[in-house]
This record gives sequence, structure tokens and C-alpha cells, in this order.
Amino acid sequence: MKLRQSIYITALVLSFGLAVGCSSDDNGTYMDDEMMMDDDMMDDDMMGVDFTGTFAQVDHLGRPGINTTLSYDMEGEASVKDAHNTTIPSEMSAAFQMGFQARLEQYHDVYALKLGLDPADVNYENNILGLDAATLTTVLAADVLEVAPDLPTTYFNPGTDLDNDGNILVPDGDEVALTGRHPNDDIIDVSLILFFGGMEGDRFSGQDLDDDGMADLPRLTSDGVGLTADISTTFPYLGAPE
Amino acid sequence: MRKTTKYLLGLVALVIAATVLVSADHIDAPSSAGTTADIADFYAFEPSEGSDNTVFVVDLQSNVLPELAYGAFDEDVLTEINIDLDGDLVEDQVIQAIARDGRMYFFGPIAPSQTGLSSEVNTDAALGNVEISGATAVVETTSDGVSLFAGPRQDPFFFDFFQFNAVISPETDSAPGGFLPPEEAADTFDGANTLSIVVEIPNSMLGTPTATNALGLSVYKTWVTTNRKQ
Repeated sequence: MKLRQSIYITALVLSFGLAVGCSSDDNGTYMDDEMMMDDDMMDDDMMGVDFTGTFAQVDHLGRPGINTTLSYDMEGEASVKDAHNTTIPSEMSAAFQMGFQARLEQYHDVYALKLGLDPADVNYENNILGLDAATLTTVLAADVLEVAPDLPTTYFNPGTDLDNDGNILVPDGDEVALTGRHPNDDIIDVSLILFFGGMEGDRFSGQDLDDDGMADLPRLTSDGVGLTADISTTFPYLGAPE
Repeated sequence: MRKTTKYLLGLVALVIAATVLVSADHIDAPSSAGTTADIADFYAFEPSEGSDNTVFVVDLQSNVLPELAYGAFDEDVLTEINIDLDGDLVEDQVIQAIARDGRMYFFGPIAPSQTGLSSEVNTDAALGNVEISGATAVVETTSDGVSLFAGPRQDPFFFDFFQFNAVISPETDSAPGGFLPPEEAADTFDGANTLSIVVEIPNSMLGTPTATNALGLSVYKTWVTTNRKQ
């Protein structure tokens, strides 16, 4: 198989159809015009279906993009990405945190060179959650997605003062955040802010420092895109295939 | 390690890693990339404010790039949604899904007889099953109030992935300005489809979590795996 390495950034951090319904239902009930009910299902219709066998894990995902972004494979060495996919979460931080932290610093080195600066002078700075690189990557290495059963879902929403206390970015104990991931959550921008945004979340955001109409710092805290797919407020929540 | 050495190693790594891209987990590693067991994405959310249910969405495979496996659920691939209640990062409840002859069968939630990297189908804990949809969504709701779906859907992930690859390229003239402003940026996944498995389940069937997130809020700690028949 052709080696494809996905590099994608993401991450949250902190321990943080349509098709017109052609109903087969006896009553001809249209739940809405996006779906139809399946009335074949009965508890007993597993009869004769073979589910035997042993299954071995091949892929894993908690927070989107962590493995793809912060793991990397070196030619000639065993794949770290594959190892991540077959490591149980309780053992992930010990196995992968150091590699993740090195990768995070490498991203900063790349931009130091593009800016004509010494890579030694451009390093990760504690992010909007106050996390240093070691703590951030420790959290991210344990690749699980947290979802609150009894609270609204908010992956994280930088720039929103969730509790109206005037403290926009730094959690102070009463925000509702890190409570899941909804299809419209912009996990990429959140991840970029956590990786490159520094304490204020806007460290590299295309600033025009000398006011000459040209950006002097790169835009690294947002990829500039939002949701384009159709989503729905009713089950199964995702739009019909295009 | 001296910074210069670290830097050089970094460049080597980036050159190798920059061979491609893709999504939230789409194509993330050599052994699973582009196969029928490739997990593309994972969502977990409250369906509406005040709801007593949780929705899990697992996206498998993707047609965002050519040459990727896409279009049919593999009957040799068992998908598992793992739920940790106490915060030890070991699954306390598992929901399984596997395709057979045009239907997706679901099992659990159940405390697994063994945790870890090897699984068997929990046939004693049938949850329900649903016809695998075509373009029209076919849904099933069980007597327990669980909603089930499996089939192709639009991939809701969004990311200017090609620009991202330019951004992380070590070439000094590659995207020196970083990402593009919104009027120039493009969602690589616009128009892409994925194979979705969606389960909406009452929280009462999962249990009450004692785990908390960084803000002290009670949360399930969840992850999805794919497992291939041996």
C-alpha cells in the first residue's frame, strides 16, 4: 500500500439526507423528508448470522488529528503512527508525549526559517489555557474525546466569554467547554490556536506590525474555512451524500 | 540535543511527513491508511439542549482523495465505540457495529469481557440492527429508544488541507504568510463523502460518569477503534 501520511492539525487539547423519504413503514410515516424508518428490524433477526471470530485493532481515534499531526514516521524505522493506533489510551501518554513535544517544536522551527529567524529563537509559548508544551502534549497524547452527558456540546470556542465574566480565553472554572465535538465545531482553528496562538491566542495571526498594509507575521491560528457540508438537527444529523 | 541537530532532524521528518494530507484521522497511518478499516472521523455530542441522549458518529473511509477504499462497509471490520466512565482511560462500556449482508448490527453497550486490542462480537448483547442506507437515510429506533444509522453521508469535516501542507513544508518559500484569508481559503473536504455509523443512545444506558474534564465537568471519555477479523 502506498504510504500516505496525513499531517493534519487538530486537536483539542485540554483535558479538553437527503433523499426523499420513501417510506417502507406500514403507516407510510415520513419522519421528515430526509429519512425513512426501517421496519425490518426485530430482535430475533440475528438468527443464522455468523459473528464468530477474533478481531484485532488496526485504527484508533479520540480527538481528531492528534496522531496525524503530532506523530511522525522516519524512513527505515517502525511506524509511530501505526504504534499509536494500536496502543491502549491508558498507555499513550507514556509512549508518545516526548515525540509529540518534539514535533510541536519542529513546526515552530519551520516558521522561524521562513521568517528568516534563528529556530532557537522561535519556540512554542504557553497557550491560552496556560499549558506549557510538556503539559499540552501529555494531555493530547492520551487520545480520547470527552463528551458531557448533561451539558451543551462545546469543543472549545476561543473568543467567546461563555460565562460573561469578561475573561474570554482562560478557563476560570465555570465555563462550559470541552464537552464533546459537534460537526460544526471548528476543531482545526481551535487546534491551531492551541499550538501557535500563545497566551492570547493570536501570536501568529497575520499581524501588520509596521502598518504598511502587508502582514509581517504568518497567519497560523486559523485556516480560514468553515463548515461546507450539510448537517441536520435531526437524526442522523449528517447530509445525504453528494 | 543541540538545537541545530534537532532542527535538522525536524526538517527530515517534515519532508517525509509532508507527502500527504488528509483529515481528522483520515489516512493517518501506513497500516490503516486508505483501507476499509480507516477511521476518518469521530464525533460525540448532545443532540439538542437538555437532551438525555448522546450521539456518536463514526466516519469510516473517505472519497476525499482518489485511490482510497470507499463505498462499502467491510464485513471483516468490527467498529467499537469505547466509553470510559471513571477516567482511567480503560473502556467500561463498549458499543459494537459490524455489517452483514446489507445490514449493520449493533451490540452493547456492555462491559467488555476483556479490554484492550483484541475483541469478539458480544452476541449476547444485541442492541439492534438497521438496513445499510443508500442515498436515502434509513433509520431504526429500538424499543430502548436507541436510534441507529449506517450508510454514506457528506463528510462534515472542514479544513484547507492543501494549504496546511504548504504551511508545514520546510521550503522557505512555501506559504511564508501561513494560511489564507477566508476569501481565498478552500475547504478540501467540500463535496467529499464518508461512510457513517450513527448511534443516538439514552445516557441512562451508558451509566453516570465520575470522570471529569479540565474544567471539572463530568464527562465520558470516549474513543473509537476498528478491528479486523483474524
